[in-house]
Amino acid sequence: MVTLRFMQLLPLLRSLFSRPVTERLPRPPGPRGGAGFGGSVQLRHVDAGSCNGCELEIASAFGPVYDAGRFGARLVASPRHADGVLVTGVVTRNMAVPLGKTLDAVPEPRVIVACGDCALGRGPFGGGYGVASSQGPLAAPDVAIPGCPPGPAAITQALRTLTGR
Amino acid sequence: MSAALLLGLGLGVAAAASGGALPARSRVPVAAVLTVAACVAALVAAARVLASGSAITVNSAQVLPLTGVTLVLDPLGAVFVITTAVVGVAASWYNVGYSGHSGHGGGRGRAGTALLPLFVTSLLAVPSAGSVATFLAAWELMALSSLFLLLTGHHRAEARDAAQWYAVMTHAGAAAILLAFVLLGAHAAGAQSFDGFGSFAAIRAGASGIPSGIRSLAFVLALAGFASKAGAVPLHVWLPRAHPEAPSPVSALMSGAMVNLGVYGIVRTGDDLLGGGQLWWWLVVAGLGAVSALFGALHAAASPDLKRLLAYSTVDNVGLVLIGVGASGALAVRGHRVLAALALIAALFQLVSHSAFKGCLFLAAGSVQQAAGTRDLDSLGGLLRRLPATAALFGIGALSVCALPPFSGFASEWLLLQGFLRGFSAHSAVIATALLAGVAALALTGGLTAAAFVKAFGIGFLGQPRTPAAASAGEAGVSMVGGTALLAVPCLVLGLIPGIAVPLLAKAAGTALSGSPAGAGGGRLAGPLRAEAGLAIAGTTDVIEPALLAAALAAGIALAWAVIRLRGRARGRAPAGGRAGAGARRAEAWGCGREVQTPRMQYTATSFAEPLQRVFEDVLRPDRDLDVSHLAESRYFEDALRYHNRIDDAVERGVYRPLTVAAGRWGEFARRAQNGSMHRYLGYGFAALVILLVVLA
Repeated sequence: MVTLRFMQLLPLLRSLFSRPVTERLPRPPGPRGGAGFGGSVQLRHVDAGSCNGCELEIASAFGPVYDAGRFGARLVASPRHADGVLVTGVVTRNMAVPLGKTLDAVPEPRVIVACGDCALGRGPFGGGYGVASSQGPLAAPDVAIPGCPPGPAAITQALRTLTGR
Repeated sequence: MSAALLLGLGLGVAAAASGGALPARSRVPVAAVLTVAACVAALVAAARVLASGSAITVNSAQVLPLTGVTLVLDPLGAVFVITTAVVGVAASWYNVGYSGHSGHGGGRGRAGTALLPLFVTSLLAVPSAGSVATFLAAWELMALSSLFLLLTGHHRAEARDAAQWYAVMTHAGAAAILLAFVLLGAHAAGAQSFDGFGSFAAIRAGASGIPSGIRSLAFVLALAGFASKAGAVPLHVWLPRAHPEAPSPVSALMSGAMVNLGVYGIVRTGDDLLGGGQLWWWLVVAGLGAVSALFGALHAAASPDLKRLLAYSTVDNVGLVLIGVGASGALAVRGHRVLAALALIAALFQLVSHSAFKGCLFLAAGSVQQAAGTRDLDSLGGLLRRLPATAALFGIGALSVCALPPFSGFASEWLLLQGFLRGFSAHSAVIATALLAGVAALALTGGLTAAAFVKAFGIGFLGQPRTPAAASAGEAGVSMVGGTALLAVPCLVLGLIPGIAVPLLAKAAGTALSGSPAGAGGGRLAGPLRAEAGLAIAGTTDVIEPALLAAALAAGIALAWAVIRLRGRARGRAPAGGRAGAGARRAEAWGCGREVQTPRMQYTATSFAEPLQRVFEDVLRPDRDLDVSHLAESRYFEDALRYHNRIDDAVERGVYRPLTVAAGRWGEFARRAQNGSMHRYLGYGFAALVILLVVLA
């Protein structure tokens, strides 16, 4: 039979009222309040011809370790639910029109986040025969996340500049 | 007053004769005008009966041999006559335009033009009948005229099939009713003279002397017959076949007037003639009603055929009425007079309201069918722009059937719910349990009905047209739109000021319940509902003012619109997030970013109903199949995918198919015995003679 003494319960009780173990993160760079979405940014992710390297990193940014969700960023299933579009990849010929339609389907005001070197018009596949013009809707993204692929920490940091949290 | 009734019936017969005799050009309008006049005359007679509260009696020994014709129009019958007359006027008017088309159900055929007025006349005659013989003659006329109207579409196999089902079911029902009335007439006759034999008054007077077993048997027989006409599950199988296949004015009359008469028969026999009877009768009625309501609503939600959906919705609404009738009967047996009347008034209100909106919906569906050439929802779409008036009228009907204020369905279902909830104060465990089940059935039915009509309107009228035929559809003519609109008016009027109908229905309910213990002694029923602008229930503070509700609704919509407009302007001045957001921006419908969007990418009726179908798979038992054919070059690539989804009626499959198979087997056997050989028949005769001699010797 297990005897649970009061002294053993004490640390448990204390943990209810003490500060969390994790440190509070410093405020993200950029203007206070982020991009003006009130601390919550819903993003539609479009893979416009990525090698899936960026996708792995995005998945990991929204995973339990980095947990971008706690800063108010969220991936949603339809551009109609979104505040912005998170684009990865070089924008291939096949994906140019769907990407344009997705951007068109997001209500204004919206943000465009270009994730990874490919989406920024550089990287190993830039200028390939299947790549549409790099001067598409991604010519001037609101947030650029460089790297091939960018790590989850970089993605989380970039999303925090949007949410302002 | 009796002159108006006789004039109505006479004009109806004249309309039928003119429809059969006049040349093709003039027969439709002349018959329509005469039918409208007949309906108006009957309406006047019935309205005066309801206003005065006393019955009209007409006796004529010369018209039918042996029995003569006895017409007795009392307030209960008058409600049904008025309902039928209104639907009859709308359907006849509508038919002028409808029969002008050469398409489905159209054509100015002699038979169709003559039979429609005859059908309307018989529908007016049934609730005016005052004796068994008159009732059965009118009943049979109604069954046969509607059967032959259904057969005007005899070139289509579906119509022939539906007519076969209808003929068998309606005649089996008529046989059951005949047996019930013969039983009652014979047992009630006892002390009566031959003159009064078979009149409803004689049965009513002698009912208390009939042994209880005979009364129960007669009620069960009558219930079987009338419930099959009303379309209660499991006797409904003819209804979702016959109503869609009939020409649309006939569908409207069948759903809006004929099924009512099944309910009329149950109320007339059980409450009025037999004076209440026993508790279990009414529990059976309410049980049939609950099953019908759920079954009908479920099939309506799953059906991709517009008129079949409406037909199943009729099964559902008749079910709701029967729950009310059953609750009223049960409360009357236990002596709760006011509660019984309240439930019956609610049931009658639901019935009248159903006649209006279902008639309107069937007529609108007929316009759609003629305009687009199909009633398959999966081939329609985008009709709101092409048939704006028909779409608006269908919308009014759909909102009403979904029981949304300010339409009549809301008032009737609110009253029905109130009737059920008040019934709990009867302090009877059996009745309370039944009422609880009734409330649950009403709630689930309401949800399923909403799903069915969101589908019907959303798939049929909104979105893009799915076929070229739907894209080139044009608005129906003046008479068709006018006839439909005529039935949309009572939907709105009864919804906004239900108070005008309630005292009239209270008189009808009082007549029906006067024979039961609940109504005994009092005779006429003191109105349990105060008839003001709104609906108020005596002895309680519950009041509902649908007109106020409608005003509040309109104010709410206006407020929401104003807020959206003002906010939109504010946004336009100060764009958030630094981007220009000048008001609203129109964007393409979201289609997952595909380069080409076609109308095929819309929701279809089948796909919209699929989740519900999946939930209720055990009841609906759909027959689903996916055929995949591959390209000749490689099994890795598909050439075509064919999805097949078919929902058969589970009752038909489980109960009727074994019966038809058994009948077929019996026929095969009989064919072997009766093979046409004269020698064999002589042999049978000889064998029978020998057997008889051996047995008798």
